[in-house]
Amino acid sequence: MVSMAEEEENGVSIQLEFPKGRVKKIMTLDKDIKRVSSEALFLVSRSTELFLQFLAEKSANVAIEKKRKTVNLEHVRMAVKRHQPTRDFLLDELPPPSQPAKPDKSTQPVARPKHDAPPPGTRRIDQFFRKPDPQNPAESPENPGQAQSPEISAQAQYPDIPALVQSPEILAQAQSPVPVDES
Amino acid sequence: MEDSLGGSSSKDNCGIKEQDRLLPIANVSRLMKQILPQNAKISKEAKETMQECVSEFISFVTSEASEKCRKERRKTVNGDDICWALATLGFDDYAAPIRRYLHRYREIEVDHNNKANHQERGINNPQERDELCKLR
Repeated sequence: MVSMAEEEENGVSIQLEFPKGRVKKIMTLDKDIKRVSSEALFLVSRSTELFLQFLAEKSANVAIEKKRKTVNLEHVRMAVKRHQPTRDFLLDELPPPSQPAKPDKSTQPVARPKHDAPPPGTRRIDQFFRKPDPQNPAESPENPGQAQSPEISAQAQYPDIPALVQSPEILAQAQSPVPVDES
Repeated sequence: MEDSLGGSSSKDNCGIKEQDRLLPIANVSRLMKQILPQNAKISKEAKETMQECVSEFISFVTSEASEKCRKERRKTVNGDDICWALATLGFDDYAAPIRRYLHRYREIEVDHNNKANHQERGINNPQERDELCKLR
């Protein structure tokens, strides 16, 4: 085996960080690759170490920019994007952002309407597009005896609207006031 | 869920086990920690993503080198092919250190070959070397 003196001469170690067998397995997944010299295996392994160190460092820089102590997928993604050669082969391979199954606590909360009480005399617009709740007759648009805001008559006029309002974005738009000309 | 990596998950269904196509997460993790500041942490998802990234890098460089061999009608991918592939793919920053490693590796290999009195070069694995010894 290689002695420590040989390894560290010229400051260039030939001790590898990754198991050679595994690196070779990954190389030969491509069936066009038939034979690989031990030299080539060594260099692929070494350059992969360099690549990993590079990407780790750049990802950490992004995390620092965003004032985070934990390097996460989005930091890695940003690091990939910033280096063109890496971006070219790697960006499309990364998992897509914002996996719904894995809520990331560090990202902004989803902008859903809060379930706090609306001001008196008014109703939340999404209430109009739900089926009347039999336990809450006050919310039924068909109960004219209750104090109701003018929006209810809008629903009666446009019965097709509920079918359109499926996404939170449209609800958000519906909630924003119509811009008023202030001139 | 730890195997789920979104867009990469389709590769998990190719019948290739993760341990065959990924480098061990322990090695990946250790190398990352060497680079990061001491108080920094890495999310599990980021570590797994890095695993995938380095495997992609290996495949990417290797296939470029292999393509060169194919065009030149050579069957064995050698160290110079890897150097060439790295430069071609835009990783010329690695060219200098990689050439140093190559130079060093060749020095040591020559040394070993001289010591062991072997005449053969470019042997892929110790098994082949042993088999060649038996033939003599």
